[in-house]
Amino acid sequence: MPRPAPSLIPPFSRPKSRVAIRQSLSYQSDIAALLFETLREFDLPVQGKTVLLKPNFVGSDPLGMTNTHPAVIAAARESFLRLGASAVLVGEGPALERDTQLVIETVSLREYLGPLSRIFVDLNVDDVERVALQTRASRLKELFLPKTLLGADFLVSMPKMKTHHWAGVTLSLKNMFGVVPGSCYGWPKNALHWAGIDRAILDINAAVLPDFAIVDGIVGMEGNGPIQGVRKPSGVLVLGNDPVAVDATCARIMGLLPEKIDYLARAATLLGHINPAQIEQVGESISTVRTPFAVLDAFKHLRSKS
Amino acid sequence: MRSAFVESSFLPFLLGAQNEDGGWGFHAGAVSRAEPTAWALIALIECASRPAHEEAAARAARFLGAAQLPDGSWPSAPDLKEGCWATSLVSLALLGSDDSSASAKRGLDWLCQELPGEARPFQRFLRLIRPKRKIASQNPSYFGWSWTVGTASWVEPTSYAILFLRVAPPQWLSADAQRRLRMGETMLFDRMCPSGGWNCGNPMVYGVPGEPQVAPTVWALLALREHPERPEIHESINWLESNTQSIQSPASLALALLAMNAYERPIAGLAERLQTSYEKIETPWSVPEAAWAALALTDTQHWWKRKSEGEDR
Repeated sequence: MPRPAPSLIPPFSRPKSRVAIRQSLSYQSDIAALLFETLREFDLPVQGKTVLLKPNFVGSDPLGMTNTHPAVIAAARESFLRLGASAVLVGEGPALERDTQLVIETVSLREYLGPLSRIFVDLNVDDVERVALQTRASRLKELFLPKTLLGADFLVSMPKMKTHHWAGVTLSLKNMFGVVPGSCYGWPKNALHWAGIDRAILDINAAVLPDFAIVDGIVGMEGNGPIQGVRKPSGVLVLGNDPVAVDATCARIMGLLPEKIDYLARAATLLGHINPAQIEQVGESISTVRTPFAVLDAFKHLRSKS
Repeated sequence: MRSAFVESSFLPFLLGAQNEDGGWGFHAGAVSRAEPTAWALIALIECASRPAHEEAAARAARFLGAAQLPDGSWPSAPDLKEGCWATSLVSLALLGSDDSSASAKRGLDWLCQELPGEARPFQRFLRLIRPKRKIASQNPSYFGWSWTVGTASWVEPTSYAILFLRVAPPQWLSADAQRRLRMGETMLFDRMCPSGGWNCGNPMVYGVPGEPQVAPTVWALLALREHPERPEIHESINWLESNTQSIQSPASLALALLAMNAYERPIAGLAERLQTSYEKIETPWSVPEAAWAALALTDTQHWWKRKSEGEDR
């Protein structure tokens, strides 16, 4: 049965969201134990379900600042299996590189996950299904989306913590651009840009909102992201049951104001919380892990004073 | 002449992966779509050695004929009602198929009428009145072809369109079509990365040079093969040649082999590496990638040559 469309709920009638910040300074640390313990606290409905992890893979990444690190993906996969998921798939549709196998080799995914034939799904070339959009923020009226995505019971967005030269930041909501298949929209998925990036982010997430988000902020990217920026170690993993709240929390860690990030402000009207009073914060506090990220001049207005 | 591996592996794979409707999906068992069917058809026509190959090619041509939209274009997925980049590839494939030239001509007409977003009058007007923001290095007045209708020009769809226009019968090309072809070539040269090679079409963003990628470089090189003397071509072939050693995926190896053979710069051991990479591959084979590999391991390359260049297509 295909995933039901997410409920669009204004903030005043939406329950509080929960976000966990965990410190992890290196990909060599025991991320699996950290994630498992944290995920267990969320009591997620994954027993017997198919979980789809959606990382952010872009391409060549010798400094480890562009792609979601495979150690985090492997740890998340192991954790969801331990929590009773019947299957945990990894699916991505890289935006700029049509040869997904090349990206997988670059990312060294196999070294962390083992044989990929039954685990990895190239969302760019999956069979597709037409999805009418619930919102009309952008010029898009419908999207053709991968059947594997629509068939997953539990969707986890797993972005890298990065700045973005068009959208300000790219986190769990922007990461959903990667589910839009290149085989329908090209490489890059330029139709989303022409529809208006910020508005398209809202429309996509209002069609397939992740059930959970895990942001890899152990090493991120600042400046001219998402590809040509500068390596930024932040030493955090940010997890939560509301991707909007997770992204707002990440923005605060990055020293940015979530309410000034266009797509986050829009998402806060229907998809989740950005108001800290509505976010139950567990783990580290934002102030102890705050690591201001450099932004391009066009996004200086996003910087918080504190 | 072709590698025995084409005969023993790629052609049986393509035959086995063909759907009942005559088309191919991106993988065996997937729903038939225009682009993988076009690549499979090109490979079958180039490599056909048995009646079964010719029969499969005829069924593919029938599938593509039925999938053509009323405006002459082809959509990227069955339920989409708008044309896309696949129109160039399907038209190219149908040129090699008997009785399908009328469909290919309609595809050509659509391609020549379809302007990318930045070349449309409203966008040109906006560029005139908007304050200049110099984010990217390219000249926005040069345009080629887009992936989908109404979006910007990019390297790969422009290369696919030029490949087709270069092979189409010259009498099909109106003066406008010839202008589009030349403009597309100009756009490709303008979008080359500073050190040679191409990526999707961003040679420089915010002053930072873009990294070339194998696939866009190969398609641009094949599209620009009428200009072997240009220094940009030499730089790009040199970039590709110096990077083949580090390529770890079958698809990019196949494409690199195609381009190096097309420019008569063979690399020792590249064909063997491609074959070995396919013997080791653990994920399901991709139809377009298998078609590229079959083409790369075949000496004749009629599919990107006009009939007058020598042999029959």
